[in-house]
Amino acid sequence: MTAESVSAMTDSAPLEGKYVYCIIRNDRSREFGEIGIGSGARVYTVSHKDLAAVVSDTPIVIYDPTRENVLAHEFVNETVMREFTLIPMSFGTIFRSENDVRALLNSTYQAFTDVLDKMQDKIEFGLKILWDRDKVVAAIERDNDEIRRLKDEITRNAASSTYFARMQLGRLVEAAMEEASNRYVNDIHEQLKDTSVASRSNKVIGDRMILNAAFLVERKDEKGFDEKVKAISLQYEDLLTFKYTGPWPPYNFVNIKLKLEKAT
Amino acid sequence: MGLLSKILLAPFLGPVWGTQWTLEKVDRVVREELTNDEPIKEDLMKLQLELESGEIDDDEYVRREGEIMVRLREVREWREKFGMGTSGGPVRVAESDESE
Repeated sequence: MTAESVSAMTDSAPLEGKYVYCIIRNDRSREFGEIGIGSGARVYTVSHKDLAAVVSDTPIVIYDPTRENVLAHEFVNETVMREFTLIPMSFGTIFRSENDVRALLNSTYQAFTDVLDKMQDKIEFGLKILWDRDKVVAAIERDNDEIRRLKDEITRNAASSTYFARMQLGRLVEAAMEEASNRYVNDIHEQLKDTSVASRSNKVIGDRMILNAAFLVERKDEKGFDEKVKAISLQYEDLLTFKYTGPWPPYNFVNIKLKLEKAT
Repeated sequence: MGLLSKILLAPFLGPVWGTQWTLEKVDRVVREELTNDEPIKEDLMKLQLELESGEIDDDEYVRREGEIMVRLREVREWREKFGMGTSGGPVRVAESDESE
């Protein structure tokens, strides 16, 4: 019975859909190789005027955002990005037919064109910064007179030091840490300003992260931006861990609200 | 859902409208919780970070990723039940937008 339902499923799920990775400007058809989502589907273009959607054939399914699937989506965009400026589509976007894809290119033609102009020769870099709490606290205790004095006092009179004094120390350290975090983040943004076009700060993940940012950079400034990030990470070597990724398609700087509905 | 049953089984204390209001509010909170995938996505990002920093190995990653995918699918199902939008799956250009 299981075998039956499985074969029934595969029979009723031919590769009829089009998984869309991104939109580029290109008026000829192009092949990008067998690198698509779902064990290496053939990646090619569906064109409308001078715009093209980069797609691969897929059954009509909902893709889980597993690492494997997300990497496949990402790998296609990275490959396309070597030659084209692109507008990335969100993960898992599937159309039922080439005609539906062309309808998207047609109805959103102007917005896509405007964004492609704006994003021409620009790439994105991700920068996540984590701090080592213990090291930052140690640095604060070293540099902040008031905190150092209070701490000395508490250790000297361990027995008699009041709950209140400890509370106050805790509060002072918390405030100093927040101040330090803001200072680091502002300094880093300031130092990267000249080599980037724009930046965006996203919500931090977990309790060790103090910055989760994306930077939009001109392709010609890529090397300069790279070097700057390396220099800053050296400057903060003792306190902060840098997670630097890219180049990415401009995920954080393209915001087209597509008017799409569920295709039943 | 533990909260809901506790409130439902609690002895009747307030006026009727009070109970009604509470139930509506609980319903809203529960619904919000069932249909919100933001915390799940955040867990996925945290998991990725743990893998990158070497806190967990590949096997652990795959196991927990599986759990997160199950939770995401549950939220998707609830969203569909409540007639809310979901991401992924087949789409087409919305009819109302095709004025040509």
